[in-house]
Amino acid sequence: MVDEKSADLRKPLIEVKHVRKVYRMGEEKVVALDDVSLDIYKGEIVCFLGTSGSGKSTFLNMVAGLEKPTKGEIIVGGVKVHKLNEEMVTLFRQKNVGFIFQSYNLLPMLTTLENISLPLVFRNVDKRKRDAMAKEAMRAVGLKGYERRRPSQMSGGQQQRVGIARAIVGKPKIIFADEPTGNLDSHTTQEVMEIIVNMVRENNQTLIIVTHDRTISEYADRVITIQDGNILGIEVKGVAKNPLKESVGGSNG
Amino acid sequence: MNNLDILGLSMRNLLRRKTRSILAVTGVIIGICAIIATLSIGFGLQESFRASLEQWGNLHLVTVYPTSGGGGGYAVVGGGSGPQDKKNVKLDEKALNAMEKINGVSGVSPREDTYLTFGIGKYIASISVIGVRPDMIEKFNYEVQEGRNLHAGDKNVLVFGNQTPGTFYNPRKSWGSSYSGKPVVDVITDKIVVTADWNYGQPQRNLPTDANKVVYKEYTFKGVGILANAENYETAYNVYIPIDVVRKINEDKAKAEKQRYDKTSGYRQAMVFVDNIEDVKRVSDTIREMGFQTSSMNDALETMQNQARMIQMILGGIGAISLLVAALGITNTMIMSIYERTKEIGVMKVIGANLPDIRKLFLVEAAIIGFVGGLAGIGLSYLLSLLMNTALLPALSSILNSGGGEVTRISIIPLWLPLAALGFSTAIGVLSGYSPARRAMNMSALESLRNE
Ligand SMILES: Nc1ncnc2c1ncn2[C@@H]1O[C@H](COP(=O)(O)OP(=O)(O)O)[C@@H](O)[C@H]1O
Ligand SMILES: [Mg+2]
Repeated sequence: MVDEKSADLRKPLIEVKHVRKVYRMGEEKVVALDDVSLDIYKGEIVCFLGTSGSGKSTFLNMVAGLEKPTKGEIIVGGVKVHKLNEEMVTLFRQKNVGFIFQSYNLLPMLTTLENISLPLVFRNVDKRKRDAMAKEAMRAVGLKGYERRRPSQMSGGQQQRVGIARAIVGKPKIIFADEPTGNLDSHTTQEVMEIIVNMVRENNQTLIIVTHDRTISEYADRVITIQDGNILGIEVKGVAKNPLKESVGGSNG
Repeated sequence: MNNLDILGLSMRNLLRRKTRSILAVTGVIIGICAIIATLSIGFGLQESFRASLEQWGNLHLVTVYPTSGGGGGYAVVGGGSGPQDKKNVKLDEKALNAMEKINGVSGVSPREDTYLTFGIGKYIASISVIGVRPDMIEKFNYEVQEGRNLHAGDKNVLVFGNQTPGTFYNPRKSWGSSYSGKPVVDVITDKIVVTADWNYGQPQRNLPTDANKVVYKEYTFKGVGILANAENYETAYNVYIPIDVVRKINEDKAKAEKQRYDKTSGYRQAMVFVDNIEDVKRVSDTIREMGFQTSSMNDALETMQNQARMIQMILGGIGAISLLVAALGITNTMIMSIYERTKEIGVMKVIGANLPDIRKLFLVEAAIIGFVGGLAGIGLSYLLSLLMNTALLPALSSILNSGGGEVTRISIIPLWLPLAALGFSTAIGVLSGYSPARRAMNMSALESLRNE
């Protein structure tokens, strides 16, 4: 596993170069990200840890192409995400990105099976195939038998498992999880995190997880502490993953 | 996203807010219903006008008069229309030939009217007589219910309008014709005496003293047929005789009364038969261009139909307003629905929905409201139409009927109307949904996602 990984190390999957994001609110400017540079490699689980308002979500959204940086470059798999137009960025997301949200964000009128296959519906996968894929994802997150349930008929933990299945069903290269356990109790948090991490490891996917909960960082290969829009420090977990070479941009000044 | 998935998802969303969707659909139902019902009343009105005019005469016929004198009498409804500048054009064979060549004209006959007394045995009747070209009468769609029609070469031959046989009476038994509809004598016979003498067959006591000096000729005719067209006032009370014979009788009559009979100034009237009613106006115009006066039932029909159309437009306008309200209802429903679902829209965008798909989702929702509302509205319209034509018929016909004829249907829904209505209501839906759908498409995914 290590060897396999080190092969990928030469070229990062995600390159973030001197990214700055400033929100303008009338007269006032809010610097959400100051100057952030970071490389993320295929198969990594990276955790962004920081207090509320530190800029974690902003970082995630920009890598996912949901927002454009004020300055700097974001390159994912060789593609300059910040230069893509709406249509291209949608295609990019369809192909490469899965999202797990804090508040699950399932569509209430759809059943579990339908919710999970929704990303495939948008990608025009035919019904037979997408149902099969969705069922497989359901099995992977331990939701077999819940096909016809609606979100309102399920607990938070179950709903988040639907959310996870929806994120992985299309086998995206990268999975983004913004506070995925923010609404869950500690026991369920553990359950859900294990599912996510196992899925990602199994499929050799890359996971970027954003949280203010230190316990979550236990699951990560690297923990990036972020404060006031700058990277404060990077902690590499486990000796095996040590050869990672991180480039830390921005200083405390 | 394929169309089936879009349709499915849109349906789901509509069913989710049943009350609101039903209200929006109800708006469309009322609008469509109002439009169809009101238009159908207009069509019913037009139809009843036509029906009542057909009783008065043949809608295919244009009657032509020379500009100077001649005319009169015949223009019952609607009246004739005069020429612009030309005057004193003779209504002769040359003119008739020219009329026959007008596109859409299938037959032309000169016409001369008179009033004669008919005797069959001891029975007599005084009947209005129309002289026509015997070979033309069939071209005018005058059909016989008994016997045969006039044919080319017929001389002293006549056919009866179907109400005329009933007017024969025995002058020795009654003072005049006590018309009962039941003929007392068989009119299809070789021995009909025809004369211009009003007093023919009357007991002598009524004679004015100087009338003895005028001696009218008597002619023997053969009655060969009775015309059908029972409901048609134009033919029902006349006897038809070849025009040359009528002219001869009129000439003899003038001679007997020591008056001049002008044979050289052309015919006093002509009848022009137009195959297609739609062409009547054009043909009339052309004939007037030639310098003649015309009159036709169709002129009257047109006036009445314009009136019907106007009523229809006013009613339809009311319907259109209610549909406009329905359109606002759809827009409102869609805007509400988009506000409510802002977050979902954000989610869909983030997990990979294409922007045009988002727009389609909402457009299709609006279209479904329009379509379903249209469908139900059409159903309701037919029900309403049925009601108007049955239970409400007596009440409504007394309000709406101005044509005089008997109204059998207040509301007529032509086949194209529901189809057009369905297309229209769906289009209204799409149109009403367009701007909300655009808004949904253009909302920022992240902003939407933050919306709680
Ligand atoms: N759309 C926005 N408009 C204005 N300010 C924003 C917007 N999004 C985020 N911010 C601000 O940027 C900073 C970083 O926000 P965010 O990335 O959401 O932090 P986190 O996810 O770490 O809580 C915060 O101060 C926040 O108020
Ligand atoms: Mg956040």
